[in-house]
Amino acid sequence: MMREEHGNVAPALISKGEDVGEIRVDIPYQLITILETIYSWVPKGKIAVITRRCDEKALAELTKRNYIDEKRIIKIGLACSKEQIAKCRCSDPVPSKVDIGEPNEPVPKDDLSERLAKLSPEERLKFWVKQFRKCNKCFACTHNCPVCFCDDCVLEERTFVPEQSIPPGLSFHMIRSYHMIDKCIECGECERSCPAEIPLLTLRKMLAKDMKEVYGYVPGDPKAVSPLNTTLEGETLEDECDEC
Amino acid sequence: MTDFRPTILAFCCNWCSYAGADLAGVSRLQMPPNVHVIRVMCSASVKPEYVIKALSQGIDGVLVLGCHIGDCHYMTGNHRTAKRMPLVQKVLKETGIDEKRMKLDWVSAAEGEKFQKVITDFVQDIQKLGPNPLREVKF
Repeated sequence: MMREEHGNVAPALISKGEDVGEIRVDIPYQLITILETIYSWVPKGKIAVITRRCDEKALAELTKRNYIDEKRIIKIGLACSKEQIAKCRCSDPVPSKVDIGEPNEPVPKDDLSERLAKLSPEERLKFWVKQFRKCNKCFACTHNCPVCFCDDCVLEERTFVPEQSIPPGLSFHMIRSYHMIDKCIECGECERSCPAEIPLLTLRKMLAKDMKEVYGYVPGDPKAVSPLNTTLEGETLEDECDEC
Repeated sequence: MTDFRPTILAFCCNWCSYAGADLAGVSRLQMPPNVHVIRVMCSASVKPEYVIKALSQGIDGVLVLGCHIGDCHYMTGNHRTAKRMPLVQKVLKETGIDEKRMKLDWVSAAEGEKFQKVITDFVQDIQKLGPNPLREVKF
């Protein structure tokens, strides 16, 4: 949960019968990213976590890939406020079980992605080159992402992103876009944590739309298998090989 | 753009397409010399990163050639490629690079003529598209 202490808000884990303190639910922090870290520290017992709809979808993606055992997680559903939904341009804001807050209407469209879709390819390239030039390779988008879970990140390999190169070039964000395409749950943490204010959530939303168009797949469903892990006939393959 | 000579990478799988390319060469089929063939063990070992990196560094076009579906030496390798590459094209499209600069096709070891046709057609397509705009972009 998020707790306010000495005027600052930070994630907190409470394991004893202590006073919970002042809980804040208005800050869209990805608690699942924290849960991934502390999960191995807590060898047994259950962990309760405040989950928005996006957190719930992130948990589904993680349990599907055997990073987290769903039986050990208790979800406390949080419905986002109207302001928050508008900020995330969220199209799916209501969790399966609402414990805190009132369910609000989704925002169906993202203005920037609609504007970009109308542009010619040259103008779109110009727009993204300008945006990606602001990138200073801080890896905030990667570290704060709840569904970025690989042990060895390709973006830290010199083959794909040269060392000592800032900005890292166009390929950095394109490679990341491809890697997120079957996992991204559109929580918007990449955009919020980006110090250069690159509209990364817009890029994710555009590609999520394409994914839906090509394969009819929407990440966040605990049962559906990613089309990248099935054959053309739909049989499930093993997870992608990291060696090749 | 008749004097534009594109630079093209072709990832060919060891078991089918590379042998197909070999056959095309042995049969002395004429084709444009703009293509650099890279032999890979399977079309599935062509990571999408390779395609993205090549294009972002100014290569004009990338061909990925593999065995026909059902003929893969590793049973389901080309299924993976077939699933991945449309998404790579979407990533290219959304960032403003023409998705036609990346092409996936299947060439078997016996199809020297098909290899010639695929190469010739792709080089013509890329000539129509012109140079990769990212050649000019400096980061």
